[in-house]
Amino acid sequence: MRDLFTVATFTMKDLLKRKSFIISNIVIWVIIIALFNVPNILKMINGDNDTSSSEKLLIVDNNNVFEGALEILKQNELGYDIQTSNDELTFDNIKEKIENGDINQAIIIKSENGNINIEYIVENLLYVSEVPKDIVSSLSTIYTNLQISKLNLTPQQIQNITPNFSFEMKQTETQEVQGNNIVMMLLSLVLFYAIYFCAYQVSTSITTEKTSKIIETLVTSTNPRTIVLGKTVGIGIVGLIQVFAMIIIALISNNLFLEQGILDKIVSIENLTPFLLIMTLVYFLLGYFAYALMYALTGSTVSKPEDVQSANSPVAILAVIGFYLAYFTMMNPTSDLNVFASIFPLSSAFCMPFRIMMGIATAKEIILSILVLILTIIIIARISIKIYSNAILNYGSKINLKDIFKFYKQN
Amino acid sequence: MGLKLENVKKSYGDKTVVDDISLEIDKPGVFGLLGTNGAGKTTTIRMILGIIKKDSGEITWNGKAVERKNVNFGYLPEERGIYPKTKIYEQLLYFAKLKGMDKREADISIKKWTEKLKVSEYLNMTAEKLSKGNQQKIQFISAILHEPELIVLDEPFSGLDPVNAELLKNVILDLVNEGKYIIMSSHQMTSIEEFCTDLLILNRGKTVLKGNLKEIKEGYPANRISLSTKENVEKYINELNLEIYNSKDNDYEIKIQNEEQGYKLFDILAKNNVKVLKFEIKKPSLNDIFIEKVEEEKIK
Repeated sequence: MRDLFTVATFTMKDLLKRKSFIISNIVIWVIIIALFNVPNILKMINGDNDTSSSEKLLIVDNNNVFEGALEILKQNELGYDIQTSNDELTFDNIKEKIENGDINQAIIIKSENGNINIEYIVENLLYVSEVPKDIVSSLSTIYTNLQISKLNLTPQQIQNITPNFSFEMKQTETQEVQGNNIVMMLLSLVLFYAIYFCAYQVSTSITTEKTSKIIETLVTSTNPRTIVLGKTVGIGIVGLIQVFAMIIIALISNNLFLEQGILDKIVSIENLTPFLLIMTLVYFLLGYFAYALMYALTGSTVSKPEDVQSANSPVAILAVIGFYLAYFTMMNPTSDLNVFASIFPLSSAFCMPFRIMMGIATAKEIILSILVLILTIIIIARISIKIYSNAILNYGSKINLKDIFKFYKQN
Repeated sequence: MGLKLENVKKSYGDKTVVDDISLEIDKPGVFGLLGTNGAGKTTTIRMILGIIKKDSGEITWNGKAVERKNVNFGYLPEERGIYPKTKIYEQLLYFAKLKGMDKREADISIKKWTEKLKVSEYLNMTAEKLSKGNQQKIQFISAILHEPELIVLDEPFSGLDPVNAELLKNVILDLVNEGKYIIMSSHQMTSIEEFCTDLLILNRGKTVLKGNLKEIKEGYPANRISLSTKENVEKYINELNLEIYNSKDNDYEIKIQNEEQGYKLFDILAKNNVKVLKFEIKKPSLNDIFIEKVEEEKIK
């Protein structure tokens, strides 16, 4: 136990002091901070730092088609700072106003031979594929109402031809899914990368010790089981520190850079319970252990640094299969396949935290999933340690699957 | 007491790499384990240290099976390895802790050995910044800083310059004087001759010679002449049909059947007024014995 602690501590310190590790983490933190600043960056790009102001839209109605009713648009919350004008403004006049920054876009309403022609003028059509639907809809409604009002209809007749529909959404599934599916899938991706890259570090660490020949001194200092488990624990703790650091930076960035309530719109805060946090950490650690021990096996079979990629590819394939099983079944979280993905040990770590977050995981499923994952880890650990013990001092040619079976059978 | 190997065997598939080896180291000192490349030295060492399991036979230390808990051993492997990006102090502390030392004990030992091997100035440097020789000294320290009873040194002098080799020799002699049991594997026969009291020569996994070095050498007749002259004397050597097995710039190593042939050669040189700088009739060196034994095995 003391040796396990020594190996884990040394591995942790060694990793934390590595320049590549420090730089990659700083890059991740910068990316997180940048993501939380996306709304601010977009505003800066649009040349508008005032968070209270919107796009300036000028509506010109010099033929008075709307008979002054356009003022109603200013009361509608369309997300535009609307100005109206009855002056006769040419295209060049509008162009000048846009270039001067007085307005961002304009609508010119013209009536010719009983037809109403509307021109939508923006600085560059590259960024605009069509006339905004909310503007089209609002103008149509105002004009229709204006014409109806001229028919001298009774209020009842007006109500009959302009009904106020009430829409309600219902589902046939008994399970009610909470949260945003896309966000869940994105977070699943983050969890996958966190587990995958931490686990990959175990392989790198073992391969480095083998290829730099330190291993021979190491295996005479402690037993192979302690080396494998010590490394896995050490790197796992570093991984947890990384995850916590990312969460803290995300929370600080949310408070400093993001407008209040924006995060609530993306992730339902009430779903982020302490239970969910604990379960996410449990699945992170269990998922990490399963993949890290597989990587310990492949790492011990490598004799040359250039063989690392090919030796690790079987584990990478398993991890990708596990991830996609979780990812795609999450599109239909109430399906049987998603339940399977949340229990299957290769995918459960990427899937179950989000079933819990969506409120559709039962206690029975969670317990079964954790037990299956723990059992898998024990089996993988036994196999990996046995193969590691026999393969680690093999510096010969590249080890194939047949050799791995041979190492497993050796005493 | 001490270390005992009895009929130890190891095979990989159909290939027997260590075949029925027995040896005993019953008193402190340096035991030489010699052999050509692939003779089975490293496999024997790995079996002694319990890194790999033997197929059959017995390996005991003070009557007990050799396991990490029964033997306090130190090992300098032939394959040099050191953490390149880690500071020297940190890696020495790591290995000391794995060998059961606490930080205080480790610090005292690290200070003692790094000063003794003149590498204390590098403690706060990463290993990759050190020369190969200094890296080797660091690895040597990691093998002995926990004061092991049994020390296994696989090619300890390879890669060291003469000054550092001398420094290491003195440290090894100190360890012998402290009562340590040392197994040394080396291709440098002069080093083995200098230190070893007993030895075992392996060839293709089999023992071809073992015993006390002095007794082994005494068993061989004086059948070599080491000659150094001011002029070329090959014609006089050829007159007696003697075999020159090494020659350079009027320095000759000559094989003889008996001492009489040596005296005859000396008479001829004297009669012809050859200026002789050195003339020595000598027993074969360990190097000669080693080559002879390996050649004999090849013929078999």
